[in-house]
Amino acid sequence: MKVYFFVGKGGTGKTTLSAAFGLGISKNNYKTLVISLDPAHNLGDALNLKISDRVLKISKNFYAVEINIEKTIRKYLSELSNRMRSTFRYFSALNIDRYFDILKNAPGMEEYAIVEVIKSYINSKEYDVIVFDTPPTGITLRILGIPEVSIVWTERLIELRRKILSRRKMLNNIHFASSSLKKRYSEENDDPVMRELYDYKGEMIELRDFLSSDNCTVNIVTVPENIALFETERILEFLKKFSIKPGKVFINRCMMFRNVPKELIEKMKEQKRVVDKLRKDFSGLTVKEIPLVKISPQGLDRLFKFYENYLKEVQDD
Amino acid sequence: MGKCIEVVREFLTGFKKGIKDRATFAIKDELDDYENIFTLIVMGLFSGMPSPPAGLVLRILPYMQNELKIMSKKTAFLDDMFVQTISRFDID
Amino acid sequence: MTALIVLIGAVFYVVAYFTYGKTLERSVVKPDVKKPTPAVRLRDNIDYVPANKFVLFGHHFASIAGAGPIVGPAIAIVWGWLPALLWVWVGNLFIGAVHDYLSLMASVRYDGRSIQWTAGHLMGKQTKFIFELYVYFAMILIIAAFMGVFGLLASKSPEILTASTLFMIAAVIEGQLLYKTRLPFWLSSVVGVALTLLSIVIGFWKPFISIPDINTLYWLQFVYIIFAAALPVWFLLQPRDYLNSYILWGGVILGSIAAFFAFRGFSWPIFTSFSANVIANQPSPFWPTVPLVIACGALSGFHSIVASGTSSKQLDNELSGMFVGCGSMFMEGMLSTIVIASIAAFGIGIFESVSEKIASAGFDLAKVKSDPITFGSIGAAIINHKDIGIGGALGIFTKSFGQMLNTLGIPVKIGATFGGLWASAFILTTLDTTNRLARYAWQEIFDPLKSFSKGLHRIITNRWVGSIIAAAAGLYLIMKGGNAYTALWAGFAGANQLLASIAMLTAANWAKRVQKVSGGILAAVLIPAIFLWITVFAGLIWYLIKVIPASDVSIRGILGGFVVVMLVLDLLLVFNFFRSFGKEYKEES
Repeated sequence: MKVYFFVGKGGTGKTTLSAAFGLGISKNNYKTLVISLDPAHNLGDALNLKISDRVLKISKNFYAVEINIEKTIRKYLSELSNRMRSTFRYFSALNIDRYFDILKNAPGMEEYAIVEVIKSYINSKEYDVIVFDTPPTGITLRILGIPEVSIVWTERLIELRRKILSRRKMLNNIHFASSSLKKRYSEENDDPVMRELYDYKGEMIELRDFLSSDNCTVNIVTVPENIALFETERILEFLKKFSIKPGKVFINRCMMFRNVPKELIEKMKEQKRVVDKLRKDFSGLTVKEIPLVKISPQGLDRLFKFYENYLKEVQDD
Repeated sequence: MGKCIEVVREFLTGFKKGIKDRATFAIKDELDDYENIFTLIVMGLFSGMPSPPAGLVLRILPYMQNELKIMSKKTAFLDDMFVQTISRFDID
Repeated sequence: MTALIVLIGAVFYVVAYFTYGKTLERSVVKPDVKKPTPAVRLRDNIDYVPANKFVLFGHHFASIAGAGPIVGPAIAIVWGWLPALLWVWVGNLFIGAVHDYLSLMASVRYDGRSIQWTAGHLMGKQTKFIFELYVYFAMILIIAAFMGVFGLLASKSPEILTASTLFMIAAVIEGQLLYKTRLPFWLSSVVGVALTLLSIVIGFWKPFISIPDINTLYWLQFVYIIFAAALPVWFLLQPRDYLNSYILWGGVILGSIAAFFAFRGFSWPIFTSFSANVIANQPSPFWPTVPLVIACGALSGFHSIVASGTSSKQLDNELSGMFVGCGSMFMEGMLSTIVIASIAAFGIGIFESVSEKIASAGFDLAKVKSDPITFGSIGAAIINHKDIGIGGALGIFTKSFGQMLNTLGIPVKIGATFGGLWASAFILTTLDTTNRLARYAWQEIFDPLKSFSKGLHRIITNRWVGSIIAAAAGLYLIMKGGNAYTALWAGFAGANQLLASIAMLTAANWAKRVQKVSGGILAAVLIPAIFLWITVFAGLIWYLIKVIPASDVSIRGILGGFVVVMLVLDLLLVFNFFRSFGKEYKEES
C-alpha cells in the first residue's frame, strides 16, 4: 500500500492536487482513497460532490471522505467516559461528562484525533493507495512528528512505571508474602497501565516506521512567492529530521503570460527568482511548476484533465 | 486477666506489623512520590500543562481511578507539603 | 546509684504520665473517643491510615530518637550530673512532653495538618515562612555539628569507625536480601541483626579502618552525604534505618538493665558550677543555655514535625494520643537518663585511665577531681582534647557505656563499640536524610524567586545545587571553625528550640482560642511557652555575644548571620503571637 501526503500552506491548492492526483492514480486500476484532514474541507468543492465523514464511492476505484475532527474527538471522549463509568462507580456520581468537556479543547487533542484517523486508515489495508489532504503546514508537521514524540514520552513513562512497579513489588514481598491477596499490581504483565504503555509504544513505532518507509511520501505544494522558499525549506528540514521521505515539490499557480502586463513585471521577476532558487536548493527533488489555470479545475472531468496535463508526467508509480 | 491478654495480643500484632513497617516506610514514601509524579504527568492534559500525547493519556486514564481520587484529595492539602515531606525522615 | 537514678527516673516518668499527662489530656485536649480521627475519616492508605497504637508508638519513637538524646546530655554533663538530669526530667515533663503531645493533638484536630500550617492559621502567614527558615538553618548546622561529633569520635576510635563502615555494608546486604530476594522476612531480619553484631565484633577485634586525621573524616562524610542522598532509598537508607531500630531498642534495653544492675556510685561531680565551660569552651550559664545543649532528651522542635507531619495522620483514636505523644517523649527522657547515669558512674574512671595523657596535656587531674569549679572550667577541654584521645562527648559516652555494660559481663570494648555504633548509625542516617531534605527546603525557600527571575531560579533550585550547598556549608563550618562542634551543636539546638517555640506558642494559642482553656490549665501551656521563648532568646543573645566572637574568624560571618536572622525572626514571631492571642477565633479556613 502506498500513502501520499500533500502538505502546504492554506490556499496553495493542496486539495485540488490531492484530488486530481488520487483520481489519476485510481484510473490505473489502483483502489484509491482521498481523505481530507483539513478542517477547511474543500474536498467536496474540488470534486463538486457532496462528501461527508462516511466514505463515498465515486467510481470503481475512487473513494473520498472528509474527516469531521470534532465528531471524532467527541466519539473518543465518550468511549473513554463509558469505559470509566462502567469500571468505577465513584466517578459516575461526579458526572464525568463535565470533566471530559474540558478535554475536548485540551492542547493536542485535535492532533491526537487526526493521528488516530491516519493510523486507522493506514492499518485498514482496504486500499492500494491513500492520499491525504492535510491541514495547514504547522499542524501537519506536528502531526507527522507525533509518533516520534509519543515514543519518547512513552519510554519515559515506562521507565517511571517500572520504578513504581519495582517498589510495589518490594512492599508486597514483605507485607503480603504469605497471603495470596496482592495489594496492587507489581508485575509488568499484570499492570494494565504498563500493558497500555507497551501497546501504545508498539503502535507508534509501527506508525513511525511506516511514515519513514518508502511506502510513504510527502508531497509539498507551494506558490512562487518569497515565503515559499522559507516554508519549503522548513518542511524539508522537518521531514529530514523525522526520516520521512519527501516526494515532489509542486509550485502551483505559476503565472505564464505571452506578454507580461506592466503591473506584473516585478511579480514575474519574483516568480522566476523563487522557482530558480527552489530548483537550485532542492536539486535532489523533482520540482514541478504548475501554471495558474484559466478555469479552476472543479469536478471529476476537469480534475482528471488537470492530472493528465500536469501531474501524470511526474508520476513514477 | 482477660484485658491483660488482650493488651499483650494487641502489642504482639502491632509489633509484627511495626517491624515490617519499619523495614519499608522509606520505600513506601518513595513509591507514593513516584505514583504522585506519574499521576501529575498524566493529568497534565487536564490543566494544559506539558503532558504525554493525548492519545496515550486517554488510554491510561481508565485504569487510574484510584490515583485520581487520591490526587483530588491531595489538592486540599497542597498548602501544607513542607512538613509532610520532612517528617518522614530521621533528623533528630 | 545508677540503679537508684534509673529507678527514680522511671518512677518519675510513670507518675508524671498518669498525673500531669492525664490532666493535660483531660483539660486541654479533651479527647473524644467517638470522634473519628483523620486517619479514619480521611483514610487513603497512603498518608492517612490508622495504626495500632503500639505500632505508632514504636514508629514515632524511632523517628524522634536519634543521636540527639545521647550527644546533648553527654555535652551538658560538664555542668554536673544533677543539673543535666534535672533538665532531662523537669524540662521534658513541663515543656517537652507538653510540646510533643499538643503538637500531635492540635494536628489531629485540623485534619492532620502540620504544626507549621496551624501556626500560620492561628498566628499569620509570616509564621509559616519563619518556620521554614529555621528548619533550613537547623539542617545546615546539624550537618556541621554531627560531622564534628562523629569525626572526633571516629578519629580516636578505629573500632567504632570500622564497625560503622562494616555496618554500612551490612545495611546494603540487608537491603538486597529484604527487597531483591524472596527470602522470608524474618530470615532476612535475623541475618541483618547478625551482620550488625558481626560488624561490632569485627570492629572491636580487628579495627582495620583507622583514620586519625579528623579533616579526612570530614571530607569522607561530605562525599558520603552527596553520594548517599542520590541513591534510591531501598539500597542503603531503608535497610539501615531498619537495622537502626534494632540497635536502638537493643541499646535502650541493655542500657536500662545494665544501669539497674551496675550498682555503681556516681563519681562524677553532682554540680560543677553554674557557668561551667560547656559550649565552645566559654563559661555557659546554665540558664539560659541548657536548652542549647540538651535538645532531644528534654525538648526538640523537630518532634513537632514528626508528630504533626506523619503520626497525627496515623492516630487511630484520640485517646491513643497521649500514649504516642507523651509516652515517646518520656521514653526518650529515660534514654537520656541512662546516658547521664553511665557517664556519671564511669566517666571519672575513664579520665583516670588516661591520666598520663591528661598530665602531659597540661591539666591537673587531681585538682579537677577535687575541685568542682576547676572541673567545670576544664572538663570539656579534657574530653575534647586531641592528644588525650577520649573522643569528645560521644567518646566519653561510649567508653562509659562500655564500662556499664561490662557489669553484665560484656567485654568493655565490645560494649563501647556497640555504644559507638548506636550513636554513629543514627548520625550517618541524619547526615544522609538531612541533605536530601535540605535540598527540598532550599527549593521551598527560593520558590518566590520564580516570579523575579526564572533562569536564576532554575539554577538555584537545581537538585544538586541545593544538596551540595547544604553539605558544603556544613563542611565549611566544621572544618574552618576549628572543629568547634559544641558551638555548632548549640547553634543547631538553638534553631531546633526556636522551632519548638513556634510549636509551643501555637499550642498555647490553640489551647486558649480554640480549646477555650483558661486559668491554671492554660498556665500549664502558656507559661512553658513564654519561658521557653525567653530562655531561647536569651540563650541566643548570649551565643551571639560570647560564642561568635570566640569562634574562628572564617565562620563568624555565617554563624553570626544565621543567629542574627533567627533572632530577628524570633521577635517577629512573638509579636505575631501576642497580636493573635487576644483575638476571637473564627473557624474559617
